[in-house]
Amino acid sequence: MAIFSVVVAVVASALCPGLKACGLRGRPACGLHWQSQTQEPSAYPGIVESTEEYKFVERLIPPAGILEPPRHQSYPTPSSWQPPKDPPPLLPYFIRRSRMHNVPVYTELTHGNRQMTVIPNVERDIWALQKDVEEFLTPLTPVTQVNEVTGTLCIKGYFDQQLKAWLLEKGF
Amino acid sequence: MTYFQAPQEVALSLGVGTGAALLLIWAALGAWEPGQGLTPARRALSTLTGEDLTRLEHVLTTGPPSPTGVPLLHHCDLPVPMPRTPVQAWVESLWGYEETLLGLADLHPNMFAVPPRLDILHEVAIWQKNLKRISYAKAKIRAEVRGGGKKPWKQKDSGQARHGSIHSPIWRGGGIAHGPRGPTSYYYMLPMKIQVLGLRVTLTVKLMQDDLHVVDSLELPTSDPRYLLDLVRHQCGGDSVLLVDVDEEMPQNIVSVVSDLKTINLGPAVGLNVHSMLKHQTLVLTLNTVAFLEKKLLWHDKCYTAIYPFRLPYSDFP
Repeated sequence: MAIFSVVVAVVASALCPGLKACGLRGRPACGLHWQSQTQEPSAYPGIVESTEEYKFVERLIPPAGILEPPRHQSYPTPSSWQPPKDPPPLLPYFIRRSRMHNVPVYTELTHGNRQMTVIPNVERDIWALQKDVEEFLTPLTPVTQVNEVTGTLCIKGYFDQQLKAWLLEKGF
Repeated sequence: MTYFQAPQEVALSLGVGTGAALLLIWAALGAWEPGQGLTPARRALSTLTGEDLTRLEHVLTTGPPSPTGVPLLHHCDLPVPMPRTPVQAWVESLWGYEETLLGLADLHPNMFAVPPRLDILHEVAIWQKNLKRISYAKAKIRAEVRGGGKKPWKQKDSGQARHGSIHSPIWRGGGIAHGPRGPTSYYYMLPMKIQVLGLRVTLTVKLMQDDLHVVDSLELPTSDPRYLLDLVRHQCGGDSVLLVDVDEEMPQNIVSVVSDLKTINLGPAVGLNVHSMLKHQTLVLTLNTVAFLEKKLLWHDKCYTAIYPFRLPYSDFP
């Protein structure tokens, strides 16, 4: 009882005299102010706009364009990448690198058992490339299909590793 | 030495067996027209096929023109990948009848000398035609035809076939079972790279068939429509001309002349599309347009697949 009366006295003294403390949440009733607020005006800093921290956002935005690969001391690089030879080989065909600067030899698998190796990006004489590929894979005599309109050569079977090495050796 | 060297002339020889195929291709691309000497089309063919056409006497009537003394007014800003060389076109002028040829312009082979993919051209042209198509045809089904809610006669013992409604599809005047249903949109988007390839193929085809003219600027001496018509008949020799400039602000003379004429049209480079280029027989580009197109179209060779649309910011684009 004594404690309760002390608390009530404290609360009453904190409020301005006369009215009960039945105001809104966090604030007393109409027209009243907490004594602490009336005594010391608080140093509220306001809102500060700063664009200096935007650099942390900017460095996360990815680029849209593919960069040229940097110059290395020796080739092949540790990830077995090699640039194409400069000047390009004097052959009747030319095989352009993909946009990621890789040799364009890809494997395809359809119907679960139809294995194919595809060489796109062939320019100029694709029939000479077909002859050379058939000579290179001679003991196996693979079936090849030439698409002149799109410049692609399809070979039945998986020969991607051999063909990649062979094209790199030629300098494409 | 850089990874990609500056454009150089590389003469390579092809096997004899492909000569016949080449002749057919040249005939299809119109290389047998009476063009004197090495026209830009034949020059471009030589880079595409890799053969030095000056060695083939049966194609040429006179020798190739000498390049000395002819100024090069436009060179390729982006590097030309090694075995290809730039194709060239004459830069002309619309100013007068006398000063027609001002110099040569180097055109990037990845834009003006790509393999002629007619299937892609067809795809892009049909896409352009159909993407805006909305068919408003609508046929009423049996539920929408007015009336016909009541069973016309009782199920049994009337001697007639059993029916539930007088507007079923088998009745005359009934609803249509599988007709067109409401406004249908035929909108679809081709991949961006296919659209770009369509533009490149069209530019190539226009150049190879001698329908492309490069002009230094679209300034005319008069605002008389007959002057431009005469000039077009004299130089281009086509029925319809599409003039393309980069900015939307074009010289006043050409704007007033073109607004009077029906077969000659003017447009900004951002509005260049396959259908317009094929509809007009002749295409006239300014040097600024060529530079703009090179910058915009060749960017697609060196970009990653978009992980979010390109209209949102990337660090190096635009």
